[in-house]
Amino acid sequence: MSSKWKKSLLVVLAIALLAVVFQVQESLNHDRDSLGLTRVQPLENAPPVLAFTTVALGGFRGLISNILWIRATELQDNDKYFEMAQLAAWITKLEPHFVQVWLEQAWNMAYNISVKFKDYPDRWRWVDRGLELLRDDGLRYNPNETLIYRELAWFFQHKMGANMDDANMYYKQEWANEMAQVFAKKTPDLEELINPQTDDQKRRAQLLRDKYKMDPEFMKEIDERYGPLEWRLPEAHAIYWAALGLKKAELNPTKIKDDDLITLRRVIYQSMQMAFQRGRLVSNPIIKAFEFGPNLDIIPKVSAAYEQAAKDDAKNRDHIEKAHKNFLKDAVYFLYVHNRIPDAARWYQILGTKFPNNTLLDFQTNSFPRNLTLDEYAVSRVQEDVGETMSRDRIKAIIEGLLANALSCLAIGDDERAAGYKLLAEKVRTTYSSKTRARGEALAISSLDDIQREVVNRMLDPENGVVPEMRAVLRTKLNMGPEPPRPARATNAVPESASSK
Amino acid sequence: MLCRRLFDIGSLMQRLLAITWLTWKAAFRFKLFLVVAVLLLASVVGLPLLIKDDGTARGFTQILLTYTLSTVTGLLGLSTLWLACGTLARDIEECQMQVVAVKPIARWQIWLGKWLGIMSLNATLLTLVGLSIYGLLQWRASRLPPDEQNVLRNEVLVARGSAKPPTFDKDIDTETERRLQDRLKKTRVDSADLTLVRKQIREQVRADYQLVPPSYAKRWVIDLGQAKNYLRNQPLYLRIKFNTADQSASGTFGGLWEAGDPPRTPAWRSELMSLAPDTFHEFAIDPNLFDDNGVLTVQFFNVNNTALLFPLDEGFEVLYREGSFGVNFIRALGIIFCWMALLAALGLAAASLLSFPVAAFCALGVLTLVFASGTMANAVSEGTIAGFSSEKGTKGSSPADVVVIPTFRAILKVIGLARDYSPIDSLSTGRSVTWEQLGSAVVQVVGLLGGSLACIGIFIFTRRELATAQGTQ
Repeated sequence: MSSKWKKSLLVVLAIALLAVVFQVQESLNHDRDSLGLTRVQPLENAPPVLAFTTVALGGFRGLISNILWIRATELQDNDKYFEMAQLAAWITKLEPHFVQVWLEQAWNMAYNISVKFKDYPDRWRWVDRGLELLRDDGLRYNPNETLIYRELAWFFQHKMGANMDDANMYYKQEWANEMAQVFAKKTPDLEELINPQTDDQKRRAQLLRDKYKMDPEFMKEIDERYGPLEWRLPEAHAIYWAALGLKKAELNPTKIKDDDLITLRRVIYQSMQMAFQRGRLVSNPIIKAFEFGPNLDIIPKVSAAYEQAAKDDAKNRDHIEKAHKNFLKDAVYFLYVHNRIPDAARWYQILGTKFPNNTLLDFQTNSFPRNLTLDEYAVSRVQEDVGETMSRDRIKAIIEGLLANALSCLAIGDDERAAGYKLLAEKVRTTYSSKTRARGEALAISSLDDIQREVVNRMLDPENGVVPEMRAVLRTKLNMGPEPPRPARATNAVPESASSK
Repeated sequence: MLCRRLFDIGSLMQRLLAITWLTWKAAFRFKLFLVVAVLLLASVVGLPLLIKDDGTARGFTQILLTYTLSTVTGLLGLSTLWLACGTLARDIEECQMQVVAVKPIARWQIWLGKWLGIMSLNATLLTLVGLSIYGLLQWRASRLPPDEQNVLRNEVLVARGSAKPPTFDKDIDTETERRLQDRLKKTRVDSADLTLVRKQIREQVRADYQLVPPSYAKRWVIDLGQAKNYLRNQPLYLRIKFNTADQSASGTFGGLWEAGDPPRTPAWRSELMSLAPDTFHEFAIDPNLFDDNGVLTVQFFNVNNTALLFPLDEGFEVLYREGSFGVNFIRALGIIFCWMALLAALGLAAASLLSFPVAAFCALGVLTLVFASGTMANAVSEGTIAGFSSEKGTKGSSPADVVVIPTFRAILKVIGLARDYSPIDSLSTGRSVTWEQLGSAVVQVVGLLGGSLACIGIFIFTRRELATAQGTQ
């Protein structure tokens, strides 16, 4: 065979082999992925520059990433943060599949850097940067990594939802303002975002999907399963991202560790517990901010979430059951102070049935459910809370409950008892304020008048308030004049120019 | 006589300018000027498009200043080193120098002319880039809303001086000595332990000046000096930092600040601030809170359940407007220019003896050494080049320490003469680059270090036998 023919044959052979490899490669990659044979996975959704950089730099990516990380640490030690967002973006993009890098960088921005600033808007910017890094980039390149979902959910639950950070109320306000853009400054209606009809609804649905990376259909599913949730509050989002993480885990069972699932479930029931304590948003147009109230309607679902978590997590069952018991104690107590006595009695019975051998009160060794009546338990809890707790949400809920009771008594003519409830509410507020003065606005609570205004509005609401006769009596006793004609639709929208308290 | 002297100077300048002009021509011939100018301008225009800031106008300006000036310094530094090595070494290797050397011009004049040529190129490029950066900053600032412009012009695009409270060193020393003597009267202390005991007592005394116990207040009295004359109606900024031994759940501690000394001055009070420990916080206070003597009184109230410690050296500082950003920017560029002068001298000194590749390698080696001086600084602080175990708190030892550590210390001192300036950092934080700093940079960096290298380079170049050079053409 002549050299010319031989070369031509080799070229044809090479092309044929390349074509076969091209065909086989895809199925090989799929097998490697499904069998967990490699940790290096193809980068999905990456822009061309990033895809090229990660391939071209090869093993040197780690080295460059380390150098950038050292620079970031040095700058942070010197209180120079203006480069941090850029450095975090470079570091994570050099190691897009290294989950811990995403978690560490996002945590650093949301937790370590944010508190270095004394102004709350500056803090919020860094918390938001941390959220964005995980949600917009981390999940984009690692859509199935449960740890990223867990971290994102934790930012909502703990950084924004809890009151550890002095700026927590500002974060909640900012988040509510952002969500107001999605829900058109009214009570969230997921249906209109799932099937948008008008241009405005389409624009808002697009905003939800593009900016916040959330699916309204899945939100509705979550709302039905765990709600009703207040989607303008962070805990609803914590539940969303944790639930989405669990869903993704179901799709990739071979890659998931049991511990990762447990942390996701924990975020759900803890956030639900938070939603129960203060998952109702009440706008206050006078101070142009919002207030919280307890969401007593989700008590059965929160309880069910605890039961499910205890069933799924044998290793931590004792801890979860303990948390469940504490939740039930709170539920009974909250229902009681909100004058929902039959519900309180029902849940008190459930508490006694589930945990018959657990004491209900601190330092009282004989306080088993069988030895305490509902009234005795509730009154003791009020004393405990007023004396010890530093939880703004709990105290607010107690005061609301006491005021609701005071107004109910007023409506039925028991003025003396009403005055007693109001006096107790005032004392609870004063004691709490004197104890939390050092934390300033972070734990500040509204004035008694403001809280009473909220409770009165709720009770006088023609749709969801008390019966018309009672409303009329209350209006007379509170010198409010006759009930106006019913408005078209009541909303509890966040005021447009709302600012942090 | 005077005419003769003037003629000599004129003649010298003519010769120097001739060599300078030759250097310029070479830079254009090799398209170096064009390439560097394009690279520099591209970095000034391109970087703002690529980099991601923290979302504030202040952050953007800081990152813009830092990245563009750092890139410019890096690019210009490398091109200076390259050109300095190339222009002399290649002239010798290509036998052009031999032609010049037979002309009525001294070797030192050739060397100096080359240096002047490189520096005039640098001056042109730095002016071009400086104007671009300055213009870009002003343009972007002018497009911001008025309140953001205000923040920017008060905190970043400004030259701020600082006033600190007295350090009380003398009082601390006196009190330390008194307490030490009391201790010595009561208990016997070995002479070997005396230094340690004195150090511990001194720290205790210092703590008295730094500590703010719970529910207590701390008062600072700061003399603004002559600055009081131009600070009327100007905002002042407090820059504070504290440490604490305890952690708080929120990661922050509350603090109330009060400034002024009523009734002699107006008073200003802050809201309750949420402040993180171990970090600098900066906030504005009202103007005109100092008295007629320029004395400002500030108080801090500790509302926490734990003691806070404000370090004497960096715990408290008052920042005030001292000058405009434009002049500050020029001074900062002046220091960068001094660094370029040193690099040019380094390159030329290396090229006076070595061929182009070896000279370039050596000069870059020296530059690497300077940037790696952190390792040397570590060895000096640990007192050994052997390993130091931070977990056990023990350090190793090496026989070479006797020689190496003093050598490192000397090298660090020399490097420090050039590195102890941070014009980019000062610019990005709105701090003054003072005329004193610029003057000191000229003396230390250009005069002392550059001058030493120039002397070495000129000495070698004067004594070098050019005819033995291995020509490449």
